[in-house]
Amino acid sequence: MNALIHKFTGKTSDGEATLSERIFTSLKVATLPIFGIVVFLLLWSLAAKQIDTSLGKFPGPQSVAQEVVGLYNEHVAEREKADAFYERQEKRNAARVAKDPTYEPRIRNYTGKETFLDQIVTSLITVMSGFILAAVFAVPLGVLLGLSSAFNTAVNPIIQIFKPVSPLAWLPLVTMVVSATYVSDDPFFAKSFVNSVITVMLCCIWPMIINTSIGVASVDSDWLNVGKVLQLSPIKKIQKIVLPASIPAIFTGMRMSLGIAWMVLIAAEMLAQNPGLGKFIWDEFQNGSSSSLSRIMTAVLVIGLIGFCLDRAMLVIQRWVSWDKASAAR
Amino acid sequence: MKTFLNISDIDVTFPTPKGEFTALQSVDLKINKGEFVSLIGHSGCGKSTVLNVIAGLVQAKRGGVILKDKEVNAPGPERAVVFQNHSLLPWLTAYQNVELAVKQVFRKTKSAAEIKDWIEYNLKLVYMDHAMNKRPDEMSGGMKQRIGIARALAMQPEVLLMDEPFGALDALTRAHLQDSLMEIQDELKNTVVMITHDVDEAVLLSDRIVMMTNGPAATVGEILDVNLPRPRERLSLAEDPEYNHLRSQVLTFLYEKQAKIETVKRTKASPSSKKNDAVA
Amino acid sequence: MLSLKKLLISSFFTAASCVVSISSVAEELGYPEKEELTFGFIKLTDMAPIAIAYENGYFEDEGLYVTIEAQANWKVLLDGVVDGRLDGAHMLAGQPIAATIGYGTQANIITPFSMDLNGNGITVSNQVWEKMKVNMPKQADGRVQLPVKADYLKPVVEEIRASGKPFNMGMVFPVSTHNYELRYWLAAGGLHPGFYAPHKGDTSGQLDADVFLSVTPPPQMPATLEAGTIQGYCVGEPWNQQAVFKGIGVPIITDYEIWKNNPEKVFGITEEFAEKYPNTTVRIVRALIRAAKWLDENDNANRPAAVKILSQSNYVGADYEVIANSMTGTFEYEKGDVRSVPDFNVFFRYNATYPYYSDAIWYLTQMRRWGQISEDKPDAWYKETAAKVYRPDIYKTAALSLIAEDLASPSEFPDFVKETGFKPPQTEFIDNITYDGSQPNAYLESLVIGLKQGQKL
Repeated sequence: MNALIHKFTGKTSDGEATLSERIFTSLKVATLPIFGIVVFLLLWSLAAKQIDTSLGKFPGPQSVAQEVVGLYNEHVAEREKADAFYERQEKRNAARVAKDPTYEPRIRNYTGKETFLDQIVTSLITVMSGFILAAVFAVPLGVLLGLSSAFNTAVNPIIQIFKPVSPLAWLPLVTMVVSATYVSDDPFFAKSFVNSVITVMLCCIWPMIINTSIGVASVDSDWLNVGKVLQLSPIKKIQKIVLPASIPAIFTGMRMSLGIAWMVLIAAEMLAQNPGLGKFIWDEFQNGSSSSLSRIMTAVLVIGLIGFCLDRAMLVIQRWVSWDKASAAR
Repeated sequence: MKTFLNISDIDVTFPTPKGEFTALQSVDLKINKGEFVSLIGHSGCGKSTVLNVIAGLVQAKRGGVILKDKEVNAPGPERAVVFQNHSLLPWLTAYQNVELAVKQVFRKTKSAAEIKDWIEYNLKLVYMDHAMNKRPDEMSGGMKQRIGIARALAMQPEVLLMDEPFGALDALTRAHLQDSLMEIQDELKNTVVMITHDVDEAVLLSDRIVMMTNGPAATVGEILDVNLPRPRERLSLAEDPEYNHLRSQVLTFLYEKQAKIETVKRTKASPSSKKNDAVA
Repeated sequence: MLSLKKLLISSFFTAASCVVSISSVAEELGYPEKEELTFGFIKLTDMAPIAIAYENGYFEDEGLYVTIEAQANWKVLLDGVVDGRLDGAHMLAGQPIAATIGYGTQANIITPFSMDLNGNGITVSNQVWEKMKVNMPKQADGRVQLPVKADYLKPVVEEIRASGKPFNMGMVFPVSTHNYELRYWLAAGGLHPGFYAPHKGDTSGQLDADVFLSVTPPPQMPATLEAGTIQGYCVGEPWNQQAVFKGIGVPIITDYEIWKNNPEKVFGITEEFAEKYPNTTVRIVRALIRAAKWLDENDNANRPAAVKILSQSNYVGADYEVIANSMTGTFEYEKGDVRSVPDFNVFFRYNATYPYYSDAIWYLTQMRRWGQISEDKPDAWYKETAAKVYRPDIYKTAALSLIAEDLASPSEFPDFVKETGFKPPQTEFIDNITYDGSQPNAYLESLVIGLKQGQKL
């Protein structure tokens, strides 16, 4: 129904709008956000000048812009250092092989610091891993809950109790359990990574379960009747009707949880000192140097930008896989 | 001649918070092979429930449905349903919607090439071969209902069940589809049970019209034989006295014998009555 | 009698270390068993030897590939070393000792390398300083006379306590040098810093206290002072200089003035690590010795370069000027009152890197003094415990191999043949009490405030 209305209104405005109206609309779409950003930058730089902290003035747009360049240069310099590191290592390995032919040289990873760009990549990998892991658990569980009202009634109280818990509250428990159970001499994943991933997973899983189960439970009964008339087996019913029908709801849940996950990850990284953007901010706060505030402000903007991009990316994927185009607009 | 489809003295009740609601009581109906039967009645009289019992989607409390000497309790493709609002799966194209049904019914008996030909044949039958690769949201209501009919026909059912198939369409589209349906019926000679609340439609398409009393505890009121010669031509029928006689008989049943008392109330409570329509 | 005992003890230690060193020096030092290492540190300037060993390639010269990671606080750092997430770390001298005797976390942590001398300071809030200043003797130029004794803090504390409010100060960890130095300074001025009573489950350290001490991670000290949660703190650099630079507080005394050339941070590893990877352990110490030497070379000539490295965001990360202040031999007290303290940060000279038993014993005496060790211990226990934690044998192996490779000269180290691990009795404390490491119980008796022989809370 919604789709119908959407389509209907869309059509008439397209058909009836005059050329000048359309130009005006597209101009509005293009200029208003730019106008908004310009006003924001002005207000920001004005306000920044008024705020004095013990670490100096609050960073304005210019100092953030400088910091962006600075952080990028730092990244390039660090990469050069890494290249030199590998070169030295190869020489050292060669010298050792010359002395001791039985030695099997190994290339060890660069041991230098993680740059801002590295931290961004780390955070993105962490959030996506936690998100995918959550989906692996949440979608089947949500389908089960949506299909069986008895199971739903039994499990729902537990979900409702855990859902409002901030994953940060879990963090100490996760950390302790991981360090007690995830023991290996040469672990494939670092413990800190596992901690962050599990924390992200814990926050993603609830919206996904709930939305999936609601989506599954509210599949159009006519479609289910089609399945009954065709005598589809339970697995085929899920595969051909239930899952495709619930995709809009599942994706709504996924988008919601990715947004929360990104917020929570930054906080978890700050709290647990796990590598990533959160740790970058915390380290800069601890440093208390004159450039710390502008670096933190840069990170804040980058976090926002990435959060926005993640949401847009989910929207694009949702539009692509979902049959209900209207649900993606919500 | 032996009864092909026997709806034998069925009662249907639904649980409600206020206790059991008796929707149907002692509905008894015998349908022959190749016969086109319409069920007509006011909204809420339970005609859709009769159809659902035949389809196996609703279980009778008493009595049962016998198709070709076998009792039916569960849904099955030999009783294909054309749903009121087409019920096409929106994530599949027209072709894929029909394919889902065809593959399910004929996966053991037909080769891949035969399946493809069969799907295309059925889409051609409803004049939808040009829209094979369209999704439901790219089609008009009439097109969607045609695909819905093609899907049901493609299952080669023993009985074709149609639940107000043209109810949601505008008058012109409805006429087109009715003509198409008659054309197909002339060729395939299916056994059809159709729900309708449109008197003209019932007279135009049916061999028999089953008129139902008002609920609760609705049942078969009168049965009217329609002996108009086929093929029927809607324009010439409009002048036909026999046609008009049949028509007035149905109208008399609906608006005199079973005049709905709530009709007065309905104007006041239109949103809720609309809901009732959908349920019926 | 007394000297005989001393002689016996010292000869025991020399004999013990000789046995170890002979066997390891006899053959050439082998390749490291473990090459990829992760070291933890807290953002303080005295982590410098680790940063320099990395940046100057000393670790790589030893075939070690080291990742250096800042830690959130001392507890996280210690846990990291105990659970193996970290192979080694920049530690508070008290940490390996406390871990070994099971105060707090129980673990066998050893220290083959002492990281520096001095380097801490005490800072108070601007308001407290204004009140203290009134009664203090001034120099001819109007600046206050140093050292600032806690006697001048006492009336301020009394005034605040009379108004019904507690006087709170921050230190970085219950077994940190800062805790003991702050307590020493307060007690020397007649202010009771409070007892611990772990046998009663009381680890707050605030029993009978005039001044309430609590833990705050070093980098958060200035912010906590600014927020008014504490009225002062004792911490390492750059967090005292940071306070005066940002106008948050006033550094009033350095630990150099509380106890001249007091031992500060150590490098801690688990005993298990040292046993499993002996070559790696010796090679770590070699790299650290070279770094410390570089830091003090040519009268601190390399300090500006070191400060530049330390100001990088992945190390200490504070501004160059802030770190440079103390690292290059000056200390700013009140705003503008910059004085020369050339030995504020000592990394190598005065045998700063040698792990002396007597240093370990001083920390043990302070743990006993404030109740962290709740019962009397015989002198022999102090010495055994010190020998469990402090490992001059490993240090000696590393130093001798550096000498053999001409990377250091014998004159830069203690005379390994005669060295007992005990410094001669030290006299340069703010209250002029003498400390003799071979007489821990007698030393405890000589201190005015604190638990005495036989006393138990």
